[in-house]
Amino acid sequence: MNLLHYLIIIPFIVGLFCLVIPKKLSKLRDLLAIGGGLATFYFTIVIFLRKPVEWFYNDLLLLKVDNLSGFILLAIGLFGVLIVLYSLKFMAGKERLSEYYTYLLWTIGGACGAILANNLILLLVFWGFLGLTLYLLIGIGGPEATPAAKKTFIIVGGSDCLMILGIAIIWSLTGSLQMDNISIHLTGLLPTVAFLALAIASFAKAGAMPMHTWIPDCAEKAPIPVTAFLPASLDKLLGIYLLGRIAMDIFVMNKAMGTLLLIVGAVTIIAAVMMALVQHDLKKLLSYHAVSQVGYMVLGIGTGNPIGIAGGIFHMLNHAIYKSCLFLTGGAVEHRTQTTNLNRLGGLAKLMPITFITCLIAALSISGVPPFNGFVSKWMIYQGVIQLGKDGDKLWIIWLVAAMFGSALTLASFMKLIHSVFLGSPSPTTPRPVAKRNEVSFTMWMPMAILAGLCVIFGVFAYRVPLKNFIFSAVPGISFLGFWSPGLATLLIIIGIILGAIIYWLGNIKSLRTDTTYVGGEIIPQDNRVTGVDFYDTIKDLGPLKVIYKKSEKKLFDIYDQGARVIFLFTKGLKKIHTGLLPTYLIWVLMGTVILFFILVKG
Amino acid sequence: MNLIVLFVAIPLGAAFLMPLLGRVARKIPDILANLANFSLLVLALLATKQGLVVYKIGGWEAVGGIPIGIYLVLDGLAVLMLLIVNVIGFLATFYSVAYMERYTDKPRYYTLFLLMIAGMNGVILSGDMFNIFVFMEIAAIASYALVAFGTEAEELEAAFKYQVLGTVASCFILFGIAIAYSLTGTLNMADMSRVIAQQGIGTPVFFVGTLFLVGFGLKAAIMPFHAWLPDAHPSAPAPISAMLSGVLIKAIGVYALCRVLFNVLGLGKVSSFLYILLVLGTLSMIAGSLLALGQRDFKRLLAYSSISQIGYIILAFGLGTPLGFLGGLFHLLNHATFKSLLFLNSGAVVYSTGNRDLKKMGGLSQRMPVTGTTSMIASMSISGIPPLSGFWSKLIIIIAAIQAQQFIFALLAVVVSIITLAYYLKVQKLAFFGKLGEAWQEIKEVPAVMCISMIILAVLCVGLGILLIPGIKAVILDPAVEVLYNGARYAQLILGS
Repeated sequence: MNLLHYLIIIPFIVGLFCLVIPKKLSKLRDLLAIGGGLATFYFTIVIFLRKPVEWFYNDLLLLKVDNLSGFILLAIGLFGVLIVLYSLKFMAGKERLSEYYTYLLWTIGGACGAILANNLILLLVFWGFLGLTLYLLIGIGGPEATPAAKKTFIIVGGSDCLMILGIAIIWSLTGSLQMDNISIHLTGLLPTVAFLALAIASFAKAGAMPMHTWIPDCAEKAPIPVTAFLPASLDKLLGIYLLGRIAMDIFVMNKAMGTLLLIVGAVTIIAAVMMALVQHDLKKLLSYHAVSQVGYMVLGIGTGNPIGIAGGIFHMLNHAIYKSCLFLTGGAVEHRTQTTNLNRLGGLAKLMPITFITCLIAALSISGVPPFNGFVSKWMIYQGVIQLGKDGDKLWIIWLVAAMFGSALTLASFMKLIHSVFLGSPSPTTPRPVAKRNEVSFTMWMPMAILAGLCVIFGVFAYRVPLKNFIFSAVPGISFLGFWSPGLATLLIIIGIILGAIIYWLGNIKSLRTDTTYVGGEIIPQDNRVTGVDFYDTIKDLGPLKVIYKKSEKKLFDIYDQGARVIFLFTKGLKKIHTGLLPTYLIWVLMGTVILFFILVKG
Repeated sequence: MNLIVLFVAIPLGAAFLMPLLGRVARKIPDILANLANFSLLVLALLATKQGLVVYKIGGWEAVGGIPIGIYLVLDGLAVLMLLIVNVIGFLATFYSVAYMERYTDKPRYYTLFLLMIAGMNGVILSGDMFNIFVFMEIAAIASYALVAFGTEAEELEAAFKYQVLGTVASCFILFGIAIAYSLTGTLNMADMSRVIAQQGIGTPVFFVGTLFLVGFGLKAAIMPFHAWLPDAHPSAPAPISAMLSGVLIKAIGVYALCRVLFNVLGLGKVSSFLYILLVLGTLSMIAGSLLALGQRDFKRLLAYSSISQIGYIILAFGLGTPLGFLGGLFHLLNHATFKSLLFLNSGAVVYSTGNRDLKKMGGLSQRMPVTGTTSMIASMSISGIPPLSGFWSKLIIIIAAIQAQQFIFALLAVVVSIITLAYYLKVQKLAFFGKLGEAWQEIKEVPAVMCISMIILAVLCVGLGILLIPGIKAVILDPAVEVLYNGARYAQLILGS
């Protein structure tokens, strides 16, 4: 048995055991799940260190690990363990837990398989299977989650069907299904259709526009660890991995397709972050950012130059880290307070300090604030766009402005989030107020802390740790335009903070005076707080934006609802002519017969 | 005496004994029917090892080079079809043991059921045109009666429509057989094929071909000849719905059509016929899926879905390539398993809740885990989700369409696949997930025999993909593909010259 098989077989077998273990032995099942996760993680490390590893079946290279897939496997293994660990406490006492762990482990196995596959059909099998496990996992969220699960699976599963089309065209063009020896020039209609089919599949998985609409619905209803694991991290890894593969290996990109990716990227960044600004729910807000950040990755890959692609892929990794961290902190908040409505939260910083700090780090990271990891990858993407301009693209400034503006808006919306949840004063409407300091349990804060730690390490030691080991080997030929020295910058920032602290202590700032609010003698109601929820509501009323927000509330931009509307028009028409009357049906038969005779016998 | 006669003799014999012995003791009808169908199942499995068998009933040899006796022919395609008919047949009978307790007259039910099986096996094995017609009528008339078995107004109306349109179909077919006989002077299919090949394919053959296309097209419910199906299939008792949708439309519709067009008339390489099959298949595929999407009635949704899936099969055959035939035949096999399973699931739901309206269900998985899980597997399989069986056949069909340069048809097949996923997810959402309705708090899972049938079919839905592994493919699927693709060789093989 090849080493690579363990990655697929272990999660599947352990998952099956989880399914059949009787309900009474829930402790054993939990242990088994975490053991399965750890074992898989262990093998991803072993494989990463030994890469390249390959497995042939009858001279057919079916599974392989190269520089690009190696570190993605590592990330899948790590996230798998962390999510299982987090779920032990978070999901405890919920229904259908055996199924939950089974699907979680199968997802890990399926994702490893999809990343390992070198054969397109094999990729398709694992890819489609992941859609199924995602559907089942969202379904664990209970009866309310069913519509979201259905919508998700129709978008994701539907794009998998398109993938079949793309793969079939590739096969008819090249006669090969092996990803390592296909290289198609994008000239003519067929290769373009094949590229678009595969790109749409990757967009749907990663959540780029216009295939993103399942993510907010899914985040709202699915259990938080599922959101943190799939839409936030694993599906990004997979979607962008596929996009990278098709853009770098399978197809030789041309300018038109590159520009298409740039447009998709830029629109995704801006539109999704605008939606995020006006959200009132923690999970929904995060989910729109999960869409917005995909824009950066697509933009990076769309630049087509090594630094941009490397930036896009690095951003994918970083995003997986900070976004799952953010969702997990959101889960911690929900676990304690029973709500994720920003209106009903507040003042949790002192009560849940670890959650607060990890959330803050991840929030700064996603906003691209140095020295955290999100900044480094965004910086690389900016450089890719600038390089694009140097190579003669006239529109580069648009992409750059979109990326930077998006980053600013991201920061703005996270200020709203941090303020509403952790700062400010506690809300009187919290369903279960946290009275005294009450951090979540060890198994829950541990994954959050590890992820936040990674945010710091990947940012401060960007060159020494992630870029050198993971990214540079995956994307050859990178040259930096401007140099950013994270070590030095961090040092400067730390010095700045220390200086600030010294001033804080030396000066007499501590002896400030607090008093009740006084507004011209009015009696102030009890719940008069600055919640932060309405921070950016004014943009909703700004001229053209007002119309767009209104339309998007009516789901005008949702490909799922619009598609359904068109399809149902046809259905209605067809239903109308099926009257159930025998003479009508006999006439159809007669007409059909006449037409067939006319075509077949006359010709 | 050759074994293949038993495929017709056993069910006919059992159908004859059923009314005689059925009233003697309560358990006898169940035992007799299951015994008969189980032995057929075993025979069908044995038949896979037989290779080509030509059996002349009564030992009548050809006179002056013209075969005059009744021929029974077992070739690769027949083996595949026999497997489908008898596996599903047995599981449906087994399911009936519990399900049909609710109806009053088990002996009559089993009599009709066995006659239908005898008819289908006869059509599949028959080597001459007239016996195809006779056996087809046996199966069809039994099925008219079975659709009306509940004798409620709705069932009688459906059976009436089914019967009228079925009779129209039979007329076309009989007419076609008569003209073919006048053209060739023989009724033996192999001999007819030889004569037509000698005379060359001209307008008269096209005329006959079109008659068969309309006739068998009606039996197979291809658009625009499909209108009887959405009424007839849901009205029958669930195991019969499973047989009708899963097997009957394939045995006396798709199979007979292919056999006659490709093997007898030699139209397998005529582009106009192939193109018409492509277009009709695509029409059925699209219209069936759109209509299924708009249904609230569980069984009617499944019936429209059958039209859509038969469309896939016809489309694949219309490509005329070996890969197309492989995809079509494999999809035929898969559709038999998952559609029968879905109808059995719908039967289980009706058994427990007495309700077919999806909007009134909800959360049934909580009370009926076996039905819920198996229906989930079948739904995913029919929607083409890997690694279930339906994924593989759809994959092959789409790849075959691209390979044959029929890009638009490939794209339409993909789009319909998405719609299929949508309406099966709707079934799952409305019936099995969601909130458990007030009225269904007390319902229970169906009896064990029904569960066993459903579980076996679900296992088949998961595992049938293994038929594509080269070693196994060479035994079951490849011989069947060979029969259709090299349609002209049929005469040579049978007549042995």
